[in-house]
Amino acid sequence: MEQLIKDLKLQIKEALNLEELSLEDFDADAPLFGDEGIGLDSIDVLEIIVLLEKEYGIRLANPKEGKAIFKSVRTIAEYVQANRKK
Amino acid sequence: MNIQVAGYGIICAIGNDASAVLESLKAGRTGIGPMHYLQSVHKELPVGEVKLSNADMLRMLGQDETTIISRTVLMGAIAIRQALEQAGIATEGKRVVVINGTTVGGMDVTEHFFRQMSEGNDLLPLLKKHDCGSSTRQMADLAGLADAEVCTVSTACSSAVNAIILGSEMLKAGEADIVIAGGTEALSMFHLNGFNSLMILDKEQCRPFDKSRAGLNLGEGAAYIVLKAHSEPEQGAPCPIFIRGYGNRCDAFHQTASSEDGEGAYLAMCDALQMAGLKPEDIHYINAHGTGTPNNDASESAAIRRVFGEEIPPVSSTKGFTGHTTSASGAIETVICILALRHQFLPANLGWKEQDEACIKPYGNSTLINSKFKTGICTSVLCNSFGFGGNDSALVISSVPTGSSPEENRFKSEQLAEATILSADGELDGQALRQYISAGEARRMSLLMKASTLSSMQALREAGIECPDAIITATAYGMLETSEKFLTDMLEQGEETLSPTLFMQSTHNTLSSAIAIRLKCHGYNMTYSQGSDSLRWALRDAKRLIETGKARTVLVGLHDEATPTLQNIFRRMGKPVPPRLYSRSIILGRSPASD
Repeated sequence: MEQLIKDLKLQIKEALNLEELSLEDFDADAPLFGDEGIGLDSIDVLEIIVLLEKEYGIRLANPKEGKAIFKSVRTIAEYVQANRKK
Repeated sequence: MNIQVAGYGIICAIGNDASAVLESLKAGRTGIGPMHYLQSVHKELPVGEVKLSNADMLRMLGQDETTIISRTVLMGAIAIRQALEQAGIATEGKRVVVINGTTVGGMDVTEHFFRQMSEGNDLLPLLKKHDCGSSTRQMADLAGLADAEVCTVSTACSSAVNAIILGSEMLKAGEADIVIAGGTEALSMFHLNGFNSLMILDKEQCRPFDKSRAGLNLGEGAAYIVLKAHSEPEQGAPCPIFIRGYGNRCDAFHQTASSEDGEGAYLAMCDALQMAGLKPEDIHYINAHGTGTPNNDASESAAIRRVFGEEIPPVSSTKGFTGHTTSASGAIETVICILALRHQFLPANLGWKEQDEACIKPYGNSTLINSKFKTGICTSVLCNSFGFGGNDSALVISSVPTGSSPEENRFKSEQLAEATILSADGELDGQALRQYISAGEARRMSLLMKASTLSSMQALREAGIECPDAIITATAYGMLETSEKFLTDMLEQGEETLSPTLFMQSTHNTLSSAIAIRLKCHGYNMTYSQGSDSLRWALRDAKRLIETGKARTVLVGLHDEATPTLQNIFRRMGKPVPPRLYSRSIILGRSPASD
């Protein structure tokens, strides 16, 4: 799980071009969206959906499903672990 | 002065000419169905295709059917020929201008041959017809208008309405005798996959304003209207039609989403009504933009409610018939409005079943005739057309001319400031960038976006202006880096897992709207893409805005980039290689001498 979280942090940082964010400061439990936390938006949701399909073979048909899954890196990791196809 | 519609032509999923379109509209027959001509793996997505092959269209235009010409150009030439034939006016010796709204230009050809182009030089000449400006020129030539001046407006899905607005302004200013304005867009793998990456395509038939709506269906087509200044009503002319008012505004909210209260749409509709000299209750029908996405329809509904209050006239979106024909949609829907006025009927809002609290209730899902239309008193309609980047426009189309309006005040314009960024290798001054662009913003900006933002902000600062009244961009090739990346990803990795960020930054109007979002500028917002003439068109527009008193300050930018691929293509064609980045921003203002 910890390795998956580490991988996801790196993949998200790269996919979203979060150059200024150091992996040490990237808290696995920090909220990804909204003003408190990483501050991602709806386009980032779409990019993370692409990332999950590319890296883990997970297909999300509806961005709305993503809301609960994309709360933090840890919630994404839990979802990936349960649903990954590769 | 009144602007009269002298003729119109249309080709789309529900018919190859106006009478076929009229018949389908009256019968409530959709043109959306399984993909037939477009070569995409996404067969699950219904589309509104024109029911003709390229060979069919080449034959209709008297061309050899093996010629490689973009479908966008072919449909456009067919619709222009129809419009000219119907108008029946002589163009010889007249100043004729073709104003075309398009976004992807010759993309359907480019995406098909791109890989072969990188291997050999044989097909390279096809790329000369790729950019919007060249495809417009080719279309005008094919339509028999080789002597006409041409101009391309590229504000994504509102392009065609902005073409009609520009044409009307040119006629009012006495810059043309006859204008042919509208738009054309063929389906391409490029934008089908782009919209798909944004997850706004419905796998079912689209249902604008319905509670269960889940996205749009893409369509294709072209429509043009012939415009002229109206002097006296012609003897025996049946039901004259006028472009009575218009508005062009920017939502200045988000690159792909509309604001909750529909500010840009609201302002555009208000401007159109004001110019038309009409009150909301004088509008008898609204042809909504109504794409069928949850966001657009709710935002547009909020804007309509703000303008019309409790007394909303019948509204329908005709995208359930045609699909969303993107850049052409404004012209296709303008022609649908003209047909509604001339034949006194109300187009249905196909697919609507259940009321959504967030949305207006559209006019029926059948072809019931509205009472006002029955008695034949429908005279004025509103046509909405919105695009990515919040480029929101609206037209008032009417069978009654406006009363005599007083002559517009004339002012003089002058240049207030200028800033230029030229980078041969793509390096930008990091310190200057950080002054205006935060790291959070920069992460999603291509080099050209950064350069255009920087030169714009520098010019505005020099002029001492925080927010201009209008923003106009000129660009020959537009967002090349992001478009090229999206195209190569699609061709190399296939039509899955493509980046929505790249697509949403592929339209030419990305630059103008990004600056508007930054400055919260809700004023006039326009993008020209006519090769090396782009800046001339942009400056002409800016001067007109200032001279007619519509704006006091205008930010005009010429922004272009040459990616390594493009530079290589220029080299292989033996042409001078353009620099990696060029961005020049000019502030025009009202000259004090004219006050």
